[in-house]
Amino acid sequence: MEDKNKLISELKTLIIESLQLEDVSPDEIGPDDPLFGNGLGLDSIDALELVVALEKAYGIVIPDEDVGKEAFASLSALADFVAKERKATGGE
Amino acid sequence: MNPGMARDSSLPSFTLYLHKHHTREMWWRSRGAPASVSGHFPLTIGTKRAILLLYVFLTQSIMDFDFTDKVALVTGGSRGIGRAISLALAERGAQVIVNYAGNEEAAQKTVSDIQTAGGDARAIRADVADTADVENMFGEIRTDPGRLDILVNNAGVLRDKLLMFMSEDDWDRVMDVNVKGLYTCCKSAARLMIGQKYGKIINMTSPSAFIGRAGQTNYAASKAGVVGFTRSLARELARFHIYVNAVCPGMIQTDMLQQLPENVAEEMLEGIAMKRFGTPEEVSGAVLFLASNKSDYITGQVITVDGGLT
Repeated sequence: MEDKNKLISELKTLIIESLQLEDVSPDEIGPDDPLFGNGLGLDSIDALELVVALEKAYGIVIPDEDVGKEAFASLSALADFVAKERKATGGE
Repeated sequence: MNPGMARDSSLPSFTLYLHKHHTREMWWRSRGAPASVSGHFPLTIGTKRAILLLYVFLTQSIMDFDFTDKVALVTGGSRGIGRAISLALAERGAQVIVNYAGNEEAAQKTVSDIQTAGGDARAIRADVADTADVENMFGEIRTDPGRLDILVNNAGVLRDKLLMFMSEDDWDRVMDVNVKGLYTCCKSAARLMIGQKYGKIINMTSPSAFIGRAGQTNYAASKAGVVGFTRSLARELARFHIYVNAVCPGMIQTDMLQQLPENVAEEMLEGIAMKRFGTPEEVSGAVLFLASNKSDYITGQVITVDGGLT
């Protein structure tokens, strides 16, 4: 769980930095809040940026929107996805 | 993309939530005004220095299109318009990757011509209609040099036939190279360019897309496809400072023009206001403009270079 919290924290920073959400603080993003549609005000095209940032940071490729939908459902879902894919690809 | 919403089958599955106001104003902040030239000229200045200053001033104006440290990929860059574009970019400092599908000799010639003139170039083979080929090509580009600033989707083929006599291969090949080639190359390029938050994509269309031509149902359809693709991708990628435009060359002196029967080419001259065919260099001018920072408020547009044909 500690690992997951650490990952969630890393991901919050990644999201805020890559999407340049300067008016959002890490505490404002709850782990189960949906990342897209409401809340952070992100849209589908923002997702592209996140896909690229994730690839750069963790070496994980998100090939299509079905995978993306699952992964981006919430911060918690994203952390699970990253943890799983990291092991699979043997990324850092 | 909110999984809490009930699925509405009438909406595209990747529903776009486009918000009217972007809370993040920073997205649209400009690149910053160029540094202003401040300071005072010396009150007294000798003639030699004056001439030197004038020379420097003039050459800076001429070198408006400076692509130093930029990496460019030109598909179909070994011959014709592609070659002219490759040479023009390399001449102005770009590192050029010349893509070719079959004619290795021509590609190597273009590369060595660039190198002889002091430029930086290399050739990579890939059929743009082949997804695996293109992914390999971009894999090589990611390894070295690891960035791509300018993508010129110039690769194109012509298979003119009246529709009744047009084979499936004539149709498929033209659509595959001219349209699918955009899908394969831009898909890979977008990943790189989004990460860079910068890119210039230039596609090649044709007057046939707008006015049609007998014998070119396949070609004209493909080139009209290029326009729709260009306009859509421009909207998708604008927020990443990725500019997607098209150049529309008319009748240009290349191998492709040689393929047309002579009487057809002659007839076409009648329809051209300037009464001559264009040169590949004249097309490269428009490409240079769209590849440069002089076109940073232009996206989703078509620039036609046809001597007044349309």
